[in-house]
Amino acid sequence: MNIIETKQLTKSYGNFTAVSDMNLHIPKGHIYGFLGPNGAGKSTTMKMFLGLTSPTFGYFTIDGKTLSSGRIPILKKIGSLIEAPAFYGNLTGEENLDIIRRILRLPKSSIGEALELTGLMEHRKRQVKKYSLGMKQRLGLAGALIGRPPILILDEPTNGLDPVGIHEIRTLIRSLPEQYDCTVLVSSHLLSEIELLADDVGILNHGHLLFEGTMEALRDYAFHAGYPADNLEETFLAMIQTDNAARKRGGFQ
Amino acid sequence: MILSLELKKLRRTGYLPIFLGGSILASAVPLVNMTVRSESFTSLPGDSFPILMDANWGMMAQLTILLVVCGCCLMYHTEYADKGDLKMNTLPIRQFSLFCGKFGVTLLAVVLSLLLQSASLAFSSIHWFADRSAGLKELVHSMGYELILLLPTLTLMLFAASLCQSMWISLGAGVILTFLGSMIHEGRLMLSLLPFAAPYRMLHAVSPEDVNTCLIICGAQTLLFAAMEMIYLDTRRKFA
Amino acid sequence: MNEFKIELIKIRRSHIFWILLIPAAMMWIPSALNADVNFRMNDIGISPEHNFFIQGFMGMAWFMIPAALIICTVLLNQTERTNKGFLKMLSLPVSTGRLCLAKFLVMLLLMTVQMLFTIVFYYAGALLASRLEDYDFVLELPYVIHGAAMIYLAIIPMASIFWMLAVLIQTPIFSAGICLASIVPSVLMLNTKLWAYYPMDYPFYMLMTEYGKLAEGVFTTEIKWIPMIPVSLAVTVLCLGISCLRFGKTETR
Repeated sequence: MNIIETKQLTKSYGNFTAVSDMNLHIPKGHIYGFLGPNGAGKSTTMKMFLGLTSPTFGYFTIDGKTLSSGRIPILKKIGSLIEAPAFYGNLTGEENLDIIRRILRLPKSSIGEALELTGLMEHRKRQVKKYSLGMKQRLGLAGALIGRPPILILDEPTNGLDPVGIHEIRTLIRSLPEQYDCTVLVSSHLLSEIELLADDVGILNHGHLLFEGTMEALRDYAFHAGYPADNLEETFLAMIQTDNAARKRGGFQ
Repeated sequence: MILSLELKKLRRTGYLPIFLGGSILASAVPLVNMTVRSESFTSLPGDSFPILMDANWGMMAQLTILLVVCGCCLMYHTEYADKGDLKMNTLPIRQFSLFCGKFGVTLLAVVLSLLLQSASLAFSSIHWFADRSAGLKELVHSMGYELILLLPTLTLMLFAASLCQSMWISLGAGVILTFLGSMIHEGRLMLSLLPFAAPYRMLHAVSPEDVNTCLIICGAQTLLFAAMEMIYLDTRRKFA
Repeated sequence: MNEFKIELIKIRRSHIFWILLIPAAMMWIPSALNADVNFRMNDIGISPEHNFFIQGFMGMAWFMIPAALIICTVLLNQTERTNKGFLKMLSLPVSTGRLCLAKFLVMLLLMTVQMLFTIVFYYAGALLASRLEDYDFVLELPYVIHGAAMIYLAIIPMASIFWMLAVLIQTPIFSAGICLASIVPSVLMLNTKLWAYYPMDYPFYMLMTEYGKLAEGVFTTEIKWIPMIPVSLAVTVLCLGISCLRFGKTETR
């Protein structure tokens, strides 16, 4: 069963089309990796799911609900980490989470739990403007995980973390579906990361969905299409380059 | 070069609309005042220009001061908001010349604003006081005098804005000072020549022997505040 | 109420109390030091202690309170925008309209605090003046509170206009500039027939009628409740309605 589905989802800003005719299928309880180079439309798609921007054409359903029934019922199901982590710099990490906790009407204990999960417990009394990039990212993640939402939308969650931090966060995300019975949509521009993390993958370039399926299906596809199947990073690069080349030819005609 | 650089930085920040809007508002003051209650002014004896200035300059000066406050805050805000100043500091350019560039831009904006306000005063003079309209020379002298009286305010505000990373602190300080200035400008000459108070003085209300004193004091204050900025930039580097 | 508490958390460590405190102190201390001027008003029949009260509150009502109000709106908006905290708020299940109203209530609370500061500093100033001039400048508390309360109520329509401008105009300095410019001509407007349609002059109007009662030939002595009350109600409802509808709309284009 798919918890998130999109039908011909399109978003354009004037002449520029950020997301074009996209049909996504995200199965419940899976980790879905959203892969694409910078500017492929990953963030825009995620923002549409959160009601931060509205589609120009097409629609999506999240847990059977559409935007027409209002953004609040959808947002109640989702924990999110978007772009550069959003927060209030004059407040401490704990106070930032307290704001989210009050809106979600969660018990006080949920703050400690989220801090513990993301390893921020010892920095909770410090003002966020004094946090390092990695700590801000962890706080963003804590703000997404708080209250154990059934759907998690994480936009490049390991951005700015050191190798040890990347490993920790990756292990944490990997364990979430089993621990909390949730679905995770995670974006990255690194295939190596998605490969280690995700059950399913969707590859995006210039707003178009080039591939969607399980990691196994991606290997099969690469093999049949003549891409280097032993190294998926190269498969990804080759797919993007072929698409870009086709696009350029299309542009000149 | 530095001036055009500063002008470029202000693109899409709303600086031009602010100055234009504020200047139009200040220029509207005499027009509205004369339209609504022209008899109470046309019935007064004497030349048109002192009457118009007495009736309107207080408000016009205050609007101009507020414009300067907003303009200075905005300029340093664009510098600090996305850490543009850090980048500027890594480039081979003297930090003080950035201050001078900002001074130049604000001066230009104030001159334009005063020109617009002069046009409005001239129009009011011709339209409502046709029989005893004052000459152009008087207007130019008067506005030139106001421009020099505005300089210390401008420099001090620019200095204050450069001190504060957070715009609303400098904005709050500027607004409070604007208010205080409007309270003390009627007092003793020395007190009334402080920044934020001086621009309320009017040429026709100052005795001829005091005019030069006013100009010298304002010039000296301008240099003083510029020197303070220079010292501040020096010490900031040492202690950063 | 929950939203209100959240908004109160957000202004922690923002130094906003200084913006409320400093103007009140700056208003009363100089006027206490210059208290001797109050003895020169006998020709219009006002007593020195009333003149002291009216002159000081005039500065507050005409400029200081509106200006502090504007700085508060800028500040409340800036805390949301500097670190993209607002983006996080929008991705949480909370109604933007309620959020907007909660922020407006916080603003009214801040104004209440400023009124209290004004009263406290008035008494400090009056006591100081009494000591310096050897004359009793202190007025009874009910009279002072009544005056302050009238000014406070008269602020609300103006506050809603400032709030709407801050919501509609994204550049904070732009909205602050327009608001500041709008308070300068309030004295001019007060002397025209249009005064009731210019809410920025309401607080000053309240005080001037009080002045008119105490001194001869200064101002009208009767408050013209009509059209003031209907206009102020209409302005407040309209401005708050527009603010709530437009709040967060630019962020979710």
